[in-house]
Amino acid sequence: MRLLTHNMLSSNIKGVTNGFPLRIEAEKVVEKQVDFNPDFLKNMFPKLEWKALADAARSLGYGELPDAADASMLDSDDFLRRLHHALLELHLEEGALVCPETGRKFPVNKGIPNMLLHEDEV
Amino acid sequence: MQRVSSTCDWKYVKAAHSPTVIPWSMQQKHGAGTGAAAAAGYENQAFAQVVVGKWRAFRLRSNNLSAASSSSKPSMANTHTSYTADPTEKSQVLKSGIAEFYDQSTGLWEDIWGDHMHHGFYDPDYSSSSLSDHRSAQIRMIEEALRFARVPEDPAKRPTNILDVGCGIGGSSRYLARKYDAQCQGITLSPLQAQRAQALTAAQGLADKVSFQIADALKQPFPDGQFDLVWSMESGEHMPDKAKFVNELVRVAAPGATIIIVTWCHRNLSPSEKSLQQEEKELLKKICDAYYLPAWCSADDYVKLLQSLSLEDVKAADWSEYVSPFWPAVIRSALTWKGFVSLLRTGWKTMRGALVMPLMIQGYKKGTIKFAIISCRKSL
Repeated sequence: MRLLTHNMLSSNIKGVTNGFPLRIEAEKVVEKQVDFNPDFLKNMFPKLEWKALADAARSLGYGELPDAADASMLDSDDFLRRLHHALLELHLEEGALVCPETGRKFPVNKGIPNMLLHEDEV
Repeated sequence: MQRVSSTCDWKYVKAAHSPTVIPWSMQQKHGAGTGAAAAAGYENQAFAQVVVGKWRAFRLRSNNLSAASSSSKPSMANTHTSYTADPTEKSQVLKSGIAEFYDQSTGLWEDIWGDHMHHGFYDPDYSSSSLSDHRSAQIRMIEEALRFARVPEDPAKRPTNILDVGCGIGGSSRYLARKYDAQCQGITLSPLQAQRAQALTAAQGLADKVSFQIADALKQPFPDGQFDLVWSMESGEHMPDKAKFVNELVRVAAPGATIIIVTWCHRNLSPSEKSLQQEEKELLKKICDAYYLPAWCSADDYVKLLQSLSLEDVKAADWSEYVSPFWPAVIRSALTWKGFVSLLRTGWKTMRGALVMPLMIQGYKKGTIKFAIISCRKSL
């Protein structure tokens, strides 16, 4: 699971008012090289929840993103490269996504999150 | 009813199917070195007779089972039972049934048909029997659906973030991501499908664009308003609560997004009818049990739901005539030596699904079963 995906996942357990962002428990993180595409990053930037991304990257062992970001930073190649790496090249292969309100863990196996709810959570 | 002209200048892009990817069932059972070859020589009388014999035995058994189940156990189709299980429990049973069915059946489907697990779209005078033509028809189905829904082609307006609900092994997800150069998320109940989808996607160099999750379409793990194209290709049939299903599609759609539902339905009821005829209901129930489908609805039901949610440009069409060659082709592929042996190796759920295929043809011929497309736009 890439952090681009994590940035659009939330906990939908019954009764939870804000299930975003999910915390990450990382057991196995893999880095996969992806072609650098600055235009894509600039288009994506306004749609990202930045703090969630920065925190998630830190959970995967990458602390190079600033805690806050604004559009002017997109002029910096260095910033774009860090964004690229965090958003697209870090993969959570094994671990869990944790509901911020209930603590319920959604397992991630072989890079695929299982977001199915149990009977009592629906 | 919308008619699609067969002389229209639609264009479709053939999906690049990587020749180096070996379907997993081949790897498991036949070893490496064989590709996903199209089946050949499917007019084999001997096997047809065996299948027909098994079919008759199955019908006898399923008639007995229907009689028994209507007085005791809860049924998947939730129509004529005297015992009513708690709806949440029934829904969970259905969901795990769906997951198991596809976990068991997907490998075989992919071996013979490839990565698109939906009907092809055919001209009325279609007469080919080549499986590669069926694959082209499956791709055409995607293109015709996009055209019907008027998804913009203009690079400035085309979708950038797509959701594939009930994504199978990701055929549509990859096709749409490639076509629009967009990000695509796919959700499925089947862990095996999700893994296979991911493997195929990586093999085709699309892992940076397409991702998959195991998730429930009725309770999607996305915040509101995420996607500008919400795509449901032949997954609506599995949703036990159509209202919840449609609500979720609309919730996760961004303002201005297009929502496309292509699905099996029963025919629209006439104003004087309260329900289908009894024999129609019985036909559908047999199909429901084999394919893990809850009760069927009509295209009109979908239209009403979408209209009640104040969506714009709600359109529906009956495409049954454009899909009629499909089930006979599927049956023929099952009657080949390869198809038949593979079926026997999968398991009872898949076999039962295969044996029920003539009922699908019967349902279409009677006008009970319809193949429908419904699309709309979320207002800005």
